[in-house]
Amino acid sequence: MSTNPGQEAVLAQQEHAAHDEHAAHEDAGISQFFFGRVPEGVHGGLKQYSLLAIFLGIITLVEFLIIVPEGLQGSGVVIAPLVILSVIKFFCVVAFFMHLKFENPLLWQIFVAGLVLGLIVALSLVLLFGVFRPTPRAFSEPRIEPFEHHVEDAHAVIERPLPDELPPPANPADLAPAAPAGGAAAGASPGQTLFVGTAACASCHTIQGVAQGVLGPPLDGIASVAGNRISGYSAEEYIRESILEPDAYTAGSADGLSQDYQEGLMSATMAGIVLSDEDVEALVEFLLQLR
Amino acid sequence: MAHADTTHAPPAHPPAHEEETTTGINHRKLLMWVFLGSDCLFFGSLIATYMVYRGQSIVGPYPRDIIDVPITTVSTFVLLMSSFTMVMGVAAARSGNQKRLIQWLVLTIILGGTFIGFQVYEFNLFRVEGLRYETNLFSSTFFTLTGFHGAHVTLGLFWLACLAIMAARNPAGRPSDLDVDIAGLYWHFVDIVWIVIFTLLYLIGGFDGPPEAGHAAVQGWNWVTGLIS
Ligand code: HEC
Repeated sequence: MSTNPGQEAVLAQQEHAAHDEHAAHEDAGISQFFFGRVPEGVHGGLKQYSLLAIFLGIITLVEFLIIVPEGLQGSGVVIAPLVILSVIKFFCVVAFFMHLKFENPLLWQIFVAGLVLGLIVALSLVLLFGVFRPTPRAFSEPRIEPFEHHVEDAHAVIERPLPDELPPPANPADLAPAAPAGGAAAGASPGQTLFVGTAACASCHTIQGVAQGVLGPPLDGIASVAGNRISGYSAEEYIRESILEPDAYTAGSADGLSQDYQEGLMSATMAGIVLSDEDVEALVEFLLQLR
Repeated sequence: MAHADTTHAPPAHPPAHEEETTTGINHRKLLMWVFLGSDCLFFGSLIATYMVYRGQSIVGPYPRDIIDVPITTVSTFVLLMSSFTMVMGVAAARSGNQKRLIQWLVLTIILGGTFIGFQVYEFNLFRVEGLRYETNLFSSTFFTLTGFHGAHVTLGLFWLACLAIMAARNPAGRPSDLDVDIAGLYWHFVDIVWIVIFTLLYLIGGFDGPPEAGHAAVQGWNWVTGLIS
């Protein structure tokens, strides 16, 4: 299109005429535009597109209103309506704004092929890591191999006992031989091997020369202070409870620690870790040595 | 495309792009659609990664502490409207109205820029409130996904700006309506990706907290198996 001022008027006129003709053509087909069969290459105009924009705006508003009531926020009931509404929005934009409805069907096929492949990839990932395994952590943590040594029975899955079924405190001396035969390194007790390995304690706790986690309190000297945490509990009882029921008592600055620790943090992680009775006793024994 | 122009106003310029192709579809347009199809895979895997790690962060801030749904609803609306102005730009290009084209493009750029402005504000707020890229699973997957989307939008803004400048400086038939059309496809695609992200990360996932004993995915699975048995 030229801007030569001499031609401008003529062009504008032509354009105007063209536009009118265009509009008339579209006027005939608002419902046809959206719902009817139309020949390839047809396009919309201001009317069709603004109608669609208003429609999409309203859907967005409805989506927002759905989650305004606090009871519905994050609840499962809203998932289906929200997904349906956004699928509608998605395909409206593709069909009309991207005018795929009025194009050679090959383009549909190409786009839908990509879309379906993308959905399959996404679904497989979610199924593999999110659904068939409750959590990625629950999947991986029982399988962690200690850095230095392989624990033979790391794969054994044994139910964790409920607190009232707890075995009477065992004599650590009896337990030692029951520990995984090939597991203990020279110098490292079974408890220590568990601490840095399968039980994943090391990811949150620091023990000089053993572990450097920072999310939980340092455990150096825990055996000396554990008896003072809850009145009536011995050091051993407190440590055992800390492992089995992390939320029963939350250690913090009131105990002379440098900060308050977050309640529920340890228990959330421990929920994904399976410890046998022997494991727990080995850990208790190990921690009781940290005077 | 080949016969689209002939049904309308006199083509504003010699239809250089109407060369014969074996598919009957212009090669550039075909390429754009193939690219968009493949980009579905790209965003599909980023979204899936977010969903897999959803509700798994063991340290805060969690989405419920930090996600602002009302503000993002506004920015979502803004991006949606930019799709409308874009499609009007494409229509203007088709009818050869260069002036209108520039106006619609500039409007689209303003709306898209506003969306990016919202995102910069959001990212910065998150950073100030202690949610950095490496803070937890939520932050890593969130920033990766929305960051890549933001990069797509930003790229689109440059593209549209180029078209607008082209149209302003050289009004004689450049950019062609096909140039605008293809940029429009890309722009709308970025919009539909956001439609998905908005629903999953904000409306549905925006209230997530720390991990619960019964993870949503587990509950969903139990529900499905319950239906079957
Ligand atoms: C996800 C991080 C995390 C993991 C993994 C973890 N802990 Fe903890 N632990 C904490 C936090 C946080 C606290 C303080 C809050 C509380 O008492 O619940 C804590 C507290 C403790 C305490 C009490 C400390 C005190 O000073 O009173 C002991 C003992 C303990 N953990 C042992 C363990 C053992 C043994 C393991 C491995 C089986 C383990 N923890 C794994 C985060 C963790």
